[in-house]
Amino acid sequence: MNSISQDFAPPFKLIAPFFIIGGFFYIAATLAVFLFSAQDLTYMSSTVMSFTHLFLLGFVMMTIFGAMAQLVPVVLEVGHFGVELFYAIWPLLLIGTLLMVVGFLYSPAMLPYGGTVVLISMMIFVGEIFLTIKKVQKLNFVMSSVVIANTFLFFGIIFGLLMALAYAGTISIDISQMLRAHVYCVVGGYIGITIMGLSIVLVPMFTLSHSFSLIPLRVAITLLSLGVTSVIFSTLLDMEVLEYVGYFSSFLALPFYFYIIYIIYKTRPRKENDIYAISMMFAYLAMVVALCLAIVYFLFHKEEVLLASAWVLFFGFFGFMITGHIYKIIPFLVWFERFSPLVGKQKVPMLADMVPRRSSQAQVVFSGIGVVLVAFAIVLKSDALLHGGASFLFFGGVAFVRSMLYMINFK
Amino acid sequence: MGMYTKEELFQAIATVVDPEVGFNLVEMGLIYDASSDDEGNVKVTMTLSTKACPLHQMILQWVKEAVEKLPNVKDVAIELVWEPEWNITMADEHVKKALGGK
Repeated sequence: MNSISQDFAPPFKLIAPFFIIGGFFYIAATLAVFLFSAQDLTYMSSTVMSFTHLFLLGFVMMTIFGAMAQLVPVVLEVGHFGVELFYAIWPLLLIGTLLMVVGFLYSPAMLPYGGTVVLISMMIFVGEIFLTIKKVQKLNFVMSSVVIANTFLFFGIIFGLLMALAYAGTISIDISQMLRAHVYCVVGGYIGITIMGLSIVLVPMFTLSHSFSLIPLRVAITLLSLGVTSVIFSTLLDMEVLEYVGYFSSFLALPFYFYIIYIIYKTRPRKENDIYAISMMFAYLAMVVALCLAIVYFLFHKEEVLLASAWVLFFGFFGFMITGHIYKIIPFLVWFERFSPLVGKQKVPMLADMVPRRSSQAQVVFSGIGVVLVAFAIVLKSDALLHGGASFLFFGGVAFVRSMLYMINFK
Repeated sequence: MGMYTKEELFQAIATVVDPEVGFNLVEMGLIYDASSDDEGNVKVTMTLSTKACPLHQMILQWVKEAVEKLPNVKDVAIELVWEPEWNITMADEHVKKALGGK
């Protein structure tokens, strides 16, 4: 038998805290939007920094780490090196994130402490993933993308800690320059490459697509990796030309990635537009909008356009990409643990039956409207629009957590 | 001529449903062949819709258990193959229609 054993699923009680905490951070991030002042929003302002870490560490990273606990064995086809380590990762990430969020808002002296706790949490994660990868005999391309992404995460954390020390006045470095390397390593190098690599496993799995070439993905990940590396070296060597080479290479990666996703969607046999498919469509549309806004920024150098681009990328692309996958991952995990032993003995629900229709739809509608309104608010510098958008986002966040708890408690 | 015909074995395996898509493995076209000898030894040749299927082991076990429910079956061997690669054209017409693949 040509076996690729997948029997390495970690227990749901290990993964559930990542998703539940991530969901509550998602709500908290919508509330943090109320702290913005549309009139004088800058990317170095404390409210923006606090929000960014609340959203990226608390929601994005927390949820990705939980998902990786389940997906790494599926992708790597081996069991975890030490799956129990995940019990230490979420509490540390939770504490570190809270310290950093509060530190940015009220007390910069707390930043190195928060940064160190986050660093420990992420080092455990990266170490566990690398030791798991070591068990793999032959790496395929998706596995290699996991290695590349986690290498960037490792360096991203180091840059982040240096910045936290500088922010608190412990060491003296150019924070704004280091910020570039930090953001690029974590957002482009880790989150970007992780999403690219895993989506090629997950999207075809849920859409039943087959027989597409992986060459565009290889090109996309190679270009994005070169782009991130180039930006890191531009920071370290203080060479502006490398920075623009990095931006160009990263932008060039995206059409290749969009192309393969387009091919998968175009040839997908499963055409039903469930909440997952709708979330994915919104996410990819948001990615295109974020890209267009970034191009406008490079042409006209208006900071509000850059902030709007980052906003659409974060809440539009990352947000919907993650919430969409939650509607697939949680029902599977709960079903696997609660209902799979009953197969053949009694009637069991299908995975789609476990997704609450109304609250998941409410989440997509409210969050979608919120993302659009806040993007306009940032560009137009309108506080009224900003608060309106944040209100929609808040209700979207509540609907998301409500949906998540419904799926987790499904009996 | 074995203990069970291919149709009888397929009928037994048709009780196994893929929880993600909601169709049974036979109508999905995932079961390529099934045969048995006079002693009650059954061999099932099948595939999965994706190599990364996290229910991989479980689905194979369900197929085995479904066939073992037939009287006098002694042993069930499952051969999981990736060639030919599964695609939607292998599914029954009503499955293709329901998934929107037509």
